Amino acid sequence: MAMHNLLWGYNSLVVLLLSGFMCITQTKINQSMSARSFLEQIPALPLPAMESFLVTLFALAMMLALGWIYRHSEHIRAQWRLLVFLAEVGACVLLMRSINLSYDGVVLLVVADLMHRYGGKHQEYLLVAAMLGLYFISNYNLAVFQMKVVPFEAYISYYDSVSQAALLATRNVFVSVNIALFVIYMVLLVKGKHEEKERIRLLNEQLGEANERLRVYAIEAERMAETRERNRLAREIHDTLGHALTGIVAGLDACMVTIDAAPDFTKKQLAKIRETAQRGMTDVRRSVKKLRPADLERLPFREALTRMTEEFAASSGMKIHFTVVGWPDSLREDQEEVIYRVVQEGITNANRHGRAKNVNLTIGSSEGKLRIIIADDGTGCEDVKQGFGLRHMRERLELLHGSLHFWNDAGFIVEAEIPMNQEEIV
Amino acid sequence: MKTKGKEQGRIFIAAFGIVLLLMAATFYYLQGQERVLRIGIFAGSNWEVPQGNSYAVMDAAVEAFKKDHPQIHVEYVSGIKKEDYAEWLAEQVMGGREPDVFFVLSDDFNLYASMGALMDLSDFIAEDGDFQPEHYYGTALDYGKYEGKSYALPCESVPTLMFVNKSLLAREGIPMPGNDWTWQDFLDICRRVTKDMDGDGVLDQFGCYDYTWKQAAVTNGINLFREDGRISYFADNRMEEAVRFMMELRGVQRGREITAKDFDMGRVAFRPFSFAEYRTYKPYPWSIKKYMNFEWDCIKLPAGPSGSNTSELDSLLVGMSARTRMPSIAWDFMKKLCYDSEIQTLVLQKSQGLPVRRDILLSAKGQDIFHQVTEGGGNMDINAISEVMDGAAMPPKFKGYHGAMLYADTELTKVINGTIPFNNALNKLQKEVNARLQF
Repeated sequence: MAMHNLLWGYNSLVVLLLSGFMCITQTKINQSMSARSFLEQIPALPLPAMESFLVTLFALAMMLALGWIYRHSEHIRAQWRLLVFLAEVGACVLLMRSINLSYDGVVLLVVADLMHRYGGKHQEYLLVAAMLGLYFISNYNLAVFQMKVVPFEAYISYYDSVSQAALLATRNVFVSVNIALFVIYMVLLVKGKHEEKERIRLLNEQLGEANERLRVYAIEAERMAETRERNRLAREIHDTLGHALTGIVAGLDACMVTIDAAPDFTKKQLAKIRETAQRGMTDVRRSVKKLRPADLERLPFREALTRMTEEFAASSGMKIHFTVVGWPDSLREDQEEVIYRVVQEGITNANRHGRAKNVNLTIGSSEGKLRIIIADDGTGCEDVKQGFGLRHMRERLELLHGSLHFWNDAGFIVEAEIPMNQEEIV
Repeated sequence: MKTKGKEQGRIFIAAFGIVLLLMAATFYYLQGQERVLRIGIFAGSNWEVPQGNSYAVMDAAVEAFKKDHPQIHVEYVSGIKKEDYAEWLAEQVMGGREPDVFFVLSDDFNLYASMGALMDLSDFIAEDGDFQPEHYYGTALDYGKYEGKSYALPCESVPTLMFVNKSLLAREGIPMPGNDWTWQDFLDICRRVTKDMDGDGVLDQFGCYDYTWKQAAVTNGINLFREDGRISYFADNRMEEAVRFMMELRGVQRGREITAKDFDMGRVAFRPFSFAEYRTYKPYPWSIKKYMNFEWDCIKLPAGPSGSNTSELDSLLVGMSARTRMPSIAWDFMKKLCYDSEIQTLVLQKSQGLPVRRDILLSAKGQDIFHQVTEGGGNMDINAISEVMDGAAMPPKFKGYHGAMLYADTELTKVINGTIPFNNALNKLQKEVNARLQF
């Protein structure tokens, strides 16, 4: 930043010095009665001394202001920013024109502004293009206006030969120092940008690590939830089924003793035992019901399925295309639950193991069979090891006499088949 | 952060508004100012002759202009001598204060036209219905052109004529030559009149004084330079004819140098004069003062074998500044000065030049005035002058013309005087001049 100010300050100083020099020389020429011979040497009408100094001042102020706006234009729309930049280029051309093209260092100022503002990917190319473009503009300026400006040499030729050499040397030093300053500025700028990039890269790495840790933690948490669920299930079985069966066993033992001696009493006892069994069954049903997903309880099955996929898509960022080709007329609760779990497991796998972006979920029924196909575009799996998920799926399906197939194609594909209306067929 | 952006926007709009206000104020200020049309003019005549009231035509033009434009104040700086005018004008131009309308010296014209100090008048000429360029003598109008575009209008013109000592010819029994005479006639008369009158063995009566190779070249139809002034044509056959003629003419005086005093004493038959000189010296009191002991008259210059009885036509140009704030008003003034029939008639009356409009010179009033001011002008015929102006050659005005001519003059004088041999001199001269013109 300080370097930028230095570059601007230096160039402003040089421009003002040059302009002042030309104005003073012009006034001197007028006072020394050599106006006519001066006009002979120049191809264009010079502006009056004071006027040309004011134009220089104005153009310089415009350039400074526009450059400042451009550099602080974070909140301005891109088109406006471009407009400001073009106006800055225009002011630059005016400035060069007003000092009779005797100094083209101001072009570098515009390049410096452009570079300062732009930190995108193609910085190097942009820099090269900008340099070429601006030097083209300044040379074009030279070519077009050469015949229309008063050459710096014409002003110099007013002085004696010693002063002429000194003046030319001074101007050349101005130009050289400016180029040196510009190079230093660019080096610092590029270095600064490079350091910033390095910092961003480090931050990204840290973020990646944190994400990885979070994923591991999520898996851990899931496993813990599973264990907790299993324990609950065990407790439930123990509490309900165990309790009922214990009662039944104890009751039946008593009946075996009493059946010969008091058949009537035994009959009564058996009725009680049956009641206990009945209650046990109710308890089991209730427990199983508790295990069913809440949506399945609340919503019609197809809606629940849609909702589950949508929610998953929304939370994971994966796109799920759900297609239905023929829906079975009626599904039993246990079938619904298996289908629900298979779909859930399938898309979870696609996301977790395949890191897929898109999943095509197709459910169709034909010839007494319901088919679920889950195809993703993820990495797939060369050597599929049946994990807990797939085995679980297969087990659930086998309970319904269904089957499970999976293979790699453009991703991973899982196909599940469930025979429908099994009881009727059997 | 968002408020910062808004604030910036507000500052931006405020700055823009201030700039607009300033511009409006400046405009209003300029509008309210009294409008002044500035004229650049030098004192004395453009034709190197004494002139009594050099501002007479200008003052009349200003008066007439003010009748049409009462709200415009016209002003000029009086008392600038012609020799100081170039520097004065250059200083004004450098300071951006050049007058809106100003006289352009022949030497300055190309300079100012090429650097864009002069307004291109082509559009004014094309669009102004009152302005008929065909009224002008073509050579005079073309004199104000640079690279095909008009940058100045002629205000008055001066052709060159041959001054004849009528008394001398009568004494020798030679009839006045006509306006269609040739180099051969000229040479014959010179040979006949060149003699020793008082018998002291020294020639004391001569054919001509001050006839230059330039006049011979023009009357032999040569354009010595290409229009852009990059190439010269000294090796042209017609130039060779002219130089040979000059050598013959020089041979007639047998080595005796003729002076202005010889002419004033009435001992020389011919001397070329510009029309301005003719105008100045012919009428009373100048003719009494200067040439009281002989009668004289003017005719066209003699024609060379490949040319005609013509001359160069020198014109005084008036240009408009390219930076003038009121171009159409400046144009009106230029028209008043260079085109208006009354002012052009006044040129004939008050100035030493000739009006640049053919119809003015040849009008009945014009002829009347002409005869008044050239009273006793023998067979000086206004139609002959008009013919000269119609067919006149335009002197080149490119940068470096004077330098090239000065060099050529030195070299050619040597050739004509016989100091250096003639055989290849013109080719050599052309090469040398061309080399100079390249810079």
